[in-house]
Amino acid sequence: MTRRDVIHKWTVYALGLLPVWVLDAYILPRWPLFGTIPMLLPLAAAAVAVLEGAYAGTGFGMAVGLLWELAYPGGFGGQVFFLALAGMAMGAVAQYALNQSFVGCLICAAGVLAMLDFLRVAQILFINAASLSDALRVAVPEFLWSLVWTPLVWLLFQAIYRRVGGTRLA
Amino acid sequence: MKDFLRQNGILLLVIALLLTILLGATSAFLGGEADPLSNVVNVLISPVRGGVSAAADWAEGVYTYVFRYGELEQELDSLRARVGELEEQVRQNEEAGRENDQLRELLNLQARRRDFTFEDARVTGRSTSNWASTLTLSKGTSSGIDPGDCVVTETGVLVGVVAEAGTNWSTVSTIINTDTQMGGIVNRTYSAGVLEGDFSLMNQGKLKLNYLPEGAQLVSGDEVLTSGRGEVFPSGLVVGRVEGVFTDPSGQTRYAVVEPAVNLDVLIKVFVIKEFEIIE
Repeated sequence: MTRRDVIHKWTVYALGLLPVWVLDAYILPRWPLFGTIPMLLPLAAAAVAVLEGAYAGTGFGMAVGLLWELAYPGGFGGQVFFLALAGMAMGAVAQYALNQSFVGCLICAAGVLAMLDFLRVAQILFINAASLSDALRVAVPEFLWSLVWTPLVWLLFQAIYRRVGGTRLA
Repeated sequence: MKDFLRQNGILLLVIALLLTILLGATSAFLGGEADPLSNVVNVLISPVRGGVSAAADWAEGVYTYVFRYGELEQELDSLRARVGELEEQVRQNEEAGRENDQLRELLNLQARRRDFTFEDARVTGRSTSNWASTLTLSKGTSSGIDPGDCVVTETGVLVGVVAEAGTNWSTVSTIINTDTQMGGIVNRTYSAGVLEGDFSLMNQGKLKLNYLPEGAQLVSGDEVLTSGRGEVFPSGLVVGRVEGVFTDPSGQTRYAVVEPAVNLDVLIKVFVIKEFEIIE
């Protein structure tokens, strides 16, 4: 693939990320389901990692983490490294243990969401801000409600992959 | 994994780690000021945020009109009755206000809120996480808004405190957020405590008035105001009403659960208090 093809491919992926981000940051927070807002950005990182493999998954995960840190309130930069690492792990797992399917994406998405919520709960417990049951009351619905959105995100990035993914542009 | 190593994947991870450290260090050093990268990104996405917010407001309005017409008619009738009552109250309040002015004159108290300098702003974004309660405003440092400024509604009800300010945007940590910590006072009994966000209460839209003095006789419905203790936040801002008084699990201190006066879900326009005088 030429440099131009690579730029073309990742521009399309970035454009695919745009509606996911708008939905995640501006639309869904206005109408939480039973007070819970889903997290869509990790799903996008999971979908691309499963479709494109470990190396691309790392890069896309890093980009998603950077968007998360810069465009959302709060944060200390940790999401950049976490999502890059998660992208690598999910890409490797999808390449060697699972396959490039929706089920593979669902398992990876569940993994990354569980890890994110685990870290949040651990942080809450570490600073003694709430009890485990209170933290789980937020984490479990967030995990499940986010996972429900996996098919939509998967379909979006699968459609992009079918047009420009892998080495199709070569 | 071989592909990952062959394609310098480790290098990508190192870059990600460096970015993490860079962002962490800048946010730690800059305090409430937005780091330059966040600021640039948020300045660029401000029009998108404003546009999406306006479109969502419009869609919500259409939905309400189409699907809740009957409900709106009933609400209109009850509002008409309420307007009548309020007009009567206003007449009474005008008299009370005159009396109040005289008392203020008598006690040589300053009309405290006249020293406030306000900046109005639109709410363009709401909490994007289940772990914090924040609002994003349409104005920032270019309008004189700084971290630590209090944000109120048009009726002087406390909304929160500016946590981070960029050029044309700012993030508000709402009063129910776990970051909240400011002096509070119960208007009826003058019992002072510390207003604190609590994780489990945040999800119910409430906060705590902690470290109540022994023997404080609070009852449900008591009004809670900011005390201004510490001289960081203005005093006399309405926070909410006491819902109940409890003893913490250690049995050492008592706290009140406070129902905020502000409805954070329907806020569209807020006012940032840029300046105020400290009243001893």
